[in-house]
Amino acid sequence: MNVPSEHLLVLSAVLFAIGAAGFFLRRNVIVVLMCVELMLNAANLSFLAASRMHSLAAGSKSLSLEGPTFAIFVIVVAAIEAAVGLALVIALYRNRQTVSLDALTDLKD
Amino acid sequence: MADALFYVMAVAAVLAALGVVLAKNPMQCVLSLLVSFFALAVIYLLAGFQFLAAAQILVYAGAIMVLFLFVIMLLNLGSPGTEDPTDVRMFSRANATLMVVVAAAILFVLALAIRRAGPMPVENSLPEGGLDPIPGLAGEMFGRYLLPFEAISVLLLATAVAVVVLAKRDRRANEESKA
Repeated sequence: MNVPSEHLLVLSAVLFAIGAAGFFLRRNVIVVLMCVELMLNAANLSFLAASRMHSLAAGSKSLSLEGPTFAIFVIVVAAIEAAVGLALVIALYRNRQTVSLDALTDLKD
Repeated sequence: MADALFYVMAVAAVLAALGVVLAKNPMQCVLSLLVSFFALAVIYLLAGFQFLAAAQILVYAGAIMVLFLFVIMLLNLGSPGTEDPTDVRMFSRANATLMVVVAAAILFVLALAIRRAGPMPVENSLPEGGLDPIPGLAGEMFGRYLLPFEAISVLLLATAVAVVVLAKRDRRANEESKA
C-alpha cells in the first residue's frame, strides 16, 4: 500500500480523540472501559505507524521491530485492563445494583 | 486498490468509534467496537503487519469483546429497546460541547506532533515477510525486552488471581444476609 505513514498517524490521533471524548462523556462504566480500549488501540496504531516509517526509511534492510513488540505489550495490557475492569464492574453491580458512575461519589462526600 | 481499501477501512474505523461513543444501548457500543477492531486489523494487514493483525483479531475481537458481551448480558443491560438509563443526560448541550472541545484539543496537540515529525517516506515495496516477522519479534521479546516480558507475565498471573478474588461471591456475606 502506498499510503504515507502520516495518514496512519492521523487516523490514530482521530481514534484517540474520539476515545478520550467518550471517556469523559459517558456515565456507564462498561462503555467507559470500551473507550479506554479504543484509546489503547489508537496507541497501538501509532506504534505500528512509527515502526513502518522507520522500517521503510531504512530500505527494509533492517526492520525496526520495537513498534510491533510494544504493540504486543499494549495488547496484553489492554486484555488485563478489560479483565480487571469488568471484574470490578461485576463486584460493583453485586453491591450497588448500578453501573452508573454518577452513583459512585462516596469519596467525594 | 490497497490504498482505496485503506481509506475505506479508516473511515469505517472512525465511524465505528463514533458509534461506540454515541450509541445509547451498551450492546450497540460493543458491536461498534467490534467493527472498529476489525477495520483496524485490516489496516494493520495493509500496512504490512501480518502477525499483529492476527493478534488483534484473536485478542481483541476474540477475547476482550467476548468479555464485554458476557458482562453486559450477565448484568442484563443490553436488552433491545431499553435505553441505558445512566446515559440519558449525555446529549445535553454542555456535555456535547465539552466532548467536542476535549476531542478538538487532543487532535490539535497530536496534529502538531505529527507535523513536527516531518516528511515521511512513501514506498510500495514491503519486505517478503511483512514488517513484523515472527522470528524477529521473538528475538526482540526474549532478548532485549526479556525483563518487560517477564514483568508482564507476572502481571498477567496476578490479574488472573485478582479477577477471581474480585468477582467471587462473598460466601460469608451471603450467609449473613440469609440468616
